[in-house]
Amino acid sequence: MHGRTKVQMVLAAMLLSAASASFAQEKVTLTVYGDEGQNLVPVEWLKPLAAAKGITLQTVGVPFTSVYEKLKTEFVGGTGAYDVVIFYPAYLGEFAEFGYVQPLDGLFSVHDPKMDDVVPAYRDLYDMYNGKTYALPYDGDILNLYYMQHIFNDAGEKAAFKAKFGQELAVPRTWDDLGKVAQFFTRKKGEKLAGKTLDQDFYGFAFLGARGFAYAWWGNIFGSLGGAYFDKNMKPQINSPVGIQALNIQKKLKDYCPPDVMSYGYTELMNAYLQGRVATMIQWSDVWKKANDPKLSQIVHDAGISQVPGVKQADGTIYFRASAPVGRVIAIPATTKHPKEAFWVASMLSLDLGIKSVTSNDTGEDPYRISQFDNVQAFEKFGSAAEAKNYLTVVKDNLNHIFPDINIPGSAEYLDALDVAVTSALSGATDPATALNTAAASWDKITQTLDPARQKKIYNAMLEAWKKHGFWKD
Amino acid sequence: MAGLERTMTIEQSQKRFARLTALPGMAVLILLVVGPLVYMFVNSFFVKTLATPVPPRFAWFENYKSLVADGRFWNAFLNSMVIMLIGIPVQSALALAIALLLNKKFPGSRIIIALFLIPVMITPVVAGFEWKIILDNRFGPLNYVLGFFGVNPQAWLAQPVLAMASILLMDTWQWTPFVTLVLLAGLASIPKQVYEAASVDGSSAKETLWRVTMPLLRPVFTLVILLRIIFIFKVFDPVQILTGGGPGVATETLSVLTYIIGFKNFNVGMSATIAVVQLIIITIIAKLFIRLVMNRRQGTPS
Amino acid sequence: MNATELRQEDLARRKRIRTLLSVLRFSLIFIFLLIFLFPVYWIGIGAFKIEGEFYHYPPVFWPSQFTFANFGRALTVFGGTHALITSLVVAVVNTGLVIAFGVLLAYSMGRFKVGGDDMSFFVLSLLFAPPVIATMPLFLIFKTLRMLDTYPVLFLSYILINMPFAVWVMKGFFEDIPQSIESAALLDGYSRFHAFRKYILPLAVPGIAVTALFVFIFSWNEFLFALIFTRSHAQTLPITLAGMTGGHQIPWGEISALSLIAITPGILLTLFFQKYLVRGLTFGAVKG
Repeated sequence: MHGRTKVQMVLAAMLLSAASASFAQEKVTLTVYGDEGQNLVPVEWLKPLAAAKGITLQTVGVPFTSVYEKLKTEFVGGTGAYDVVIFYPAYLGEFAEFGYVQPLDGLFSVHDPKMDDVVPAYRDLYDMYNGKTYALPYDGDILNLYYMQHIFNDAGEKAAFKAKFGQELAVPRTWDDLGKVAQFFTRKKGEKLAGKTLDQDFYGFAFLGARGFAYAWWGNIFGSLGGAYFDKNMKPQINSPVGIQALNIQKKLKDYCPPDVMSYGYTELMNAYLQGRVATMIQWSDVWKKANDPKLSQIVHDAGISQVPGVKQADGTIYFRASAPVGRVIAIPATTKHPKEAFWVASMLSLDLGIKSVTSNDTGEDPYRISQFDNVQAFEKFGSAAEAKNYLTVVKDNLNHIFPDINIPGSAEYLDALDVAVTSALSGATDPATALNTAAASWDKITQTLDPARQKKIYNAMLEAWKKHGFWKD
Repeated sequence: MAGLERTMTIEQSQKRFARLTALPGMAVLILLVVGPLVYMFVNSFFVKTLATPVPPRFAWFENYKSLVADGRFWNAFLNSMVIMLIGIPVQSALALAIALLLNKKFPGSRIIIALFLIPVMITPVVAGFEWKIILDNRFGPLNYVLGFFGVNPQAWLAQPVLAMASILLMDTWQWTPFVTLVLLAGLASIPKQVYEAASVDGSSAKETLWRVTMPLLRPVFTLVILLRIIFIFKVFDPVQILTGGGPGVATETLSVLTYIIGFKNFNVGMSATIAVVQLIIITIIAKLFIRLVMNRRQGTPS
Repeated sequence: MNATELRQEDLARRKRIRTLLSVLRFSLIFIFLLIFLFPVYWIGIGAFKIEGEFYHYPPVFWPSQFTFANFGRALTVFGGTHALITSLVVAVVNTGLVIAFGVLLAYSMGRFKVGGDDMSFFVLSLLFAPPVIATMPLFLIFKTLRMLDTYPVLFLSYILINMPFAVWVMKGFFEDIPQSIESAALLDGYSRFHAFRKYILPLAVPGIAVTALFVFIFSWNEFLFALIFTRSHAQTLPITLAGMTGGHQIPWGEISALSLIAITPGILLTLFFQKYLVRGLTFGAVKG
């Protein structure tokens, strides 16, 4: 009796220790792929922790604009060169469908990534595919409305606004109101703004007009009007009446934007705001962190952040959607020889190193976990407690109303056609209806080329996820 | 009898020598260059995309028909043609002017020539980013300097026509020195005696330029313009960075479109089709250009 | 006035015109240099600017404080040194290969019209297609050969980009060399190859030098193949530079510094090859 129990106990102990060290402690080298620079900094932080577990981490960084094509080429070629890949979620559908990246649910036991902690809408629309988890979140890119606080609080401006529009001056929550605010605050050099004389032209609004992601700024409006990319039968809806209406709204707003807004990329848009040249603008979350850095910003502690404007519903609530272009997720290629170790790396980056990553100005990452949003203290280095709390509340709210990039196979192509339509119409080369009709025709062609039945099935699965969060009604 | 035999042997040996010297180069060319191009031709007849696991489908000229019906293709074609038709004459004239200015040995001439060449050495990716800053509406030195001439600050990259002008400006800046250098090499191989003979004949500077220098420069000039025509169609990196093809598709050239279709959409079949069409277009232009030059040279042995 | 005085006046007037023309010539050269080099100057001073001076109005034409930190960071943190070495090796070897294989072909096409006009146009037409097309098939080939992310993959793939160009340009220069020189050598009893090596080649050197210079520059600046065929071991300067222009904060100081370093080999090469360009004049003497 005694002997057998002892053997049982030893066996049990061995099993337990094998389970906790969920992978063998042999030396392993893993290659991590991502866009060069800031966004690989968390991997550098992980290196010593990984070394302690016998994992040597190597990074391969590529230019920001080349992430998709370089990775896709390696996948198509079946090189198996990477063990962990960081990319933009718009491509997740394609990579998952092709089997380039593997489902992760079975690997959770290696190091639980606590997916319940991820903001639900963001998780369901950017990390899941076909009911399984294919990626872990790494960067919660979402668009927000930014504004200069003091001009909205100025008594003189408030009075003038009320006199002109018959309503109180407030941070706009609807597109209508944004239009009024933008028009109101667009002033020439020499006029006054909040009691000070302007030494340069001042504009009411700004957006990203450069080729690449311009579609997302249209997406905010389109989504808030209830738009979706396709209907259930894969008929494009981008040129539906709401699509055209959205583009017309944006076109009107452009009248109150700086004259070079069509060439605005990330940097130009951010600078327009940080240098106090625009009253409001819409951009990614990390701008708030930079707005309170005196080295970069002239509006320190004046940077207000709010939900992306929406549309007032019959019941008085405001329905809004916030686009989420770019963003980063981590996935594990199917070809990796060390899936467990690779998953450990991914999970560490997404969970354990997450809070450090999203509160650092050395990386470009934005929060995506509820635990991060609850951690007001960690964000107080960027502003007061009140400012940090407001920031986190707003960003989380925007994330929960995410209007995601389309991420079914062929997404790069769909989005490019849409981007062309939006920028062509806004630059005046075509009218909105024609531009969107052309894009819709392209979309049909793309769907036809990519096996329409399959596309429809995949898209409908995506719609189910949208439905779950109230973004789609049958 | 013996003399005739000897002539034939010389010709034969010449032919054999010619073939021998050509062989290694041709082998390399065929292996590394022709192969992928054949692959490209073949692909253009397939509806083949790598964006979903749909197998490639042989489709004869479906891609071509589709392309011709596509407004975006014609827009890109137009953009490429505009750049070529404006850029080439401007760059050639400018390069010739500079080459003539520099075609005199004076202290420091070597260094100045080297300095002129620097724009060509700037990595196109960097050139794109630099011009983006230079053309910036608010912070760009160009608008600042133009301000002194009473010109209002322009949104260079935000308006279709100005964006196209910006592309031309950047391309001219980067490649005129290339043409200049080749022309200088050509000018350098014109013997001094030719000029001396012309001045003895009482020829004025202008006459010498047109009647003596230009004809002697013609082969080199043709060569370099032909190259520029080809390169200007292929220019990609700086355009992609400066405008991304925007605003809208105002500066989307054939090369940008080919890249997007081939590498963003991974529509291998269609991008091969565009490349073949581009090849045909350039071939036509090149042949036309050569014919134009040959006709002008009636009477001179080519 | 007598004849001598008239002549002296005439000479003096001619001298004034020549001086005037000289001044005009140098002024124009100066203006052109200014225009063409201004963007380079902008990059150059950018290397010494601190962060705040890039998006600044009015534009900063002269840095308030000259910082050298950008160079250090560019070369270390951003991997500039590694990229410099890689680019240098690749460009030099590729130029050597292209010239070595190309010279003979260019000679035989230029001198003997091997293949005639059609062959000549065929070589030119190889330049027409955008390299994008060749990327996928070459990628698969190189992957099978296990050459990805190595130096040789760039040596070889750049031949595709540079050889048609090199052959076409050098052919033109070989065409310009009169056949009389070769005939003279043959009559003197030399073999064809000897004639080529001792008499033709030296005369073609200016053209070969110009071609080699540009092949070097094209290899140095190539982006697409380097992006697709390499990862980290064989990363070249353009990829490193593009990588520095990440989506968000762009380190202009470091990019400018690295760009400045990147143009140095090209400038040195040009200065070196200048001697060969000048040699063309002596060829003129032979022709006369």
